[in-house]
Amino acid sequence: MSSAQSELTDLSVGRASKLIARKEISPVELVDACLARAEAVNPTINAFIDIYHDQARAVARAAETMIQAGHWLGPLHGIPLGLKDIIGLKGQITTAGSKVMADWVPSQDATVAERLRRHGAIFLGKTNMHEFAWGGTSDNPHYGPVRNPWNPDRFPAGSSGGSGAAVAARACTAALGTDTGGSVRLPSAINGIVGLRPTIGRVSNFGVVPLAWSMDTVGPMARTVEDCALLFNAMAGHDPKDGGSLLEPVPDYTADLNKEVRGLRIGVVPGYFFHHLQPPVRDAVKAALSTFEGLGAHVFEVDIENIHGNISAQLTVESTEPSAYHQKWLRERPQDYGADVRTQLEMGELLLATHYIQAQRYRTLLRREFMEAFKSVDVFICPTLPFTATRVGEMKVVIENGEEEDMLSAIMQFTGVPSLTGLPSLNVPCGYDHEGLPVGMQIIGRPFDEATLFRMGAAFQTATDFHERAPKL
Amino acid sequence: MNDHADLTVADIEVLAGLAALPLPDGRAQVIREPLAAWVRDANELSRKMSQKEYLDLMPATIFHHNAI
Repeated sequence: MSSAQSELTDLSVGRASKLIARKEISPVELVDACLARAEAVNPTINAFIDIYHDQARAVARAAETMIQAGHWLGPLHGIPLGLKDIIGLKGQITTAGSKVMADWVPSQDATVAERLRRHGAIFLGKTNMHEFAWGGTSDNPHYGPVRNPWNPDRFPAGSSGGSGAAVAARACTAALGTDTGGSVRLPSAINGIVGLRPTIGRVSNFGVVPLAWSMDTVGPMARTVEDCALLFNAMAGHDPKDGGSLLEPVPDYTADLNKEVRGLRIGVVPGYFFHHLQPPVRDAVKAALSTFEGLGAHVFEVDIENIHGNISAQLTVESTEPSAYHQKWLRERPQDYGADVRTQLEMGELLLATHYIQAQRYRTLLRREFMEAFKSVDVFICPTLPFTATRVGEMKVVIENGEEEDMLSAIMQFTGVPSLTGLPSLNVPCGYDHEGLPVGMQIIGRPFDEATLFRMGAAFQTATDFHERAPKL
Repeated sequence: MNDHADLTVADIEVLAGLAALPLPDGRAQVIREPLAAWVRDANELSRKMSQKEYLDLMPATIFHHNAI
């Protein structure tokens, strides 16, 4: 790759779109640079299942022609994106990271893909992921493990691990992931990028292979908060094809990006948010809170009485709903699932209906407590996950006292809360551990108040430079 | 199955039979330990949600026609 191409792959969506609109760079140059970067890094990080060389170049040429003719579609015109391979694209194999769906070719685009296309985005390829999104490591038995660009011996988290690794490695300008129990936020934190889990119902799930219907949503992943807001402007909104989609108005999510955060109230839950953490994670997130205080925000302790129990509820819902979706395949071709996903699907079949219903009632309780708490604070801030990147292939993690813990439970210590309550949450990079591995914080907001999350995240990125570091790959 | 979810392979085979889920050789043993942990925690949550003060709570999955 030439240095000129490196400069192009380093561009944020916001910066690239300005240069494209002013005809200072062309979509063809940008797509070519990202394709070259993807080709260069994919043998190491395995972030892509498929790269659309010819198609992406053809669309880029068309995008350039439109701009030359004076027809600019907006900030996503000519921007190369990665798409998690669970999001359907018309005429393109969409595997969901599985052998079971290895030959599935959707007859229409997922709504989010169609909306991004309409805004001029260019799909560079499909990103690798945890099989069927049912896990947090992206250690895929069928397409190979995704690796972390900050250290390829380490995992990228998941399930949208390929999207996280590709964005961090500058192989695409931004990407889409899906999030059920943390699958956008976890790989965003572990790869040092920004990722949004939207309010449930804010973004259409039509055309996306489900994991757990009551918690699934699609979210943007990018290197800056502004970039996520730009993508979200195109993604958000009602879709009559998705019964879970809501009719809330869609604001301009970039409108408040430069608004100060003075006076905003940040809640932290004592006894939970800074409990059971690796020290570098605790230190980085506490330092981030201090940064916000320095910007004029206020931090309050707010008790959420029943927050303990959320991991069990998360596991119960996240395991039983997929087991219903996969019931037929699990009986007909169990050997075609990877070992961990097969085990989890079998386990999900054996929990009781009362376990599931009590977990769903707990979600009502937890949401009620958070909604009450939002009368006294504007957001909550906590770590996104309690540890930094572990080694590829590990299913246990050590968080404290040298004790090994189950990866699946441990990784959802904090991300399960927004998933259960349907609240929006944003991962923002906020530090690095002693090995240079990224740490992320999670900002949780009121329903449909993604704008405040973007406002806080943008203020933090203006005050810090964690998001400007790049992995040396 | 007792309250503390000391699940045995035989327990799992009975549950799988109820679900008409074939578990070939060794599968029940593979899932025994992790399932026991999940069931133990799920039973604890069920006990919490059965307390009198929570009896008015409905599941998060019911229809809300005019509300979020």
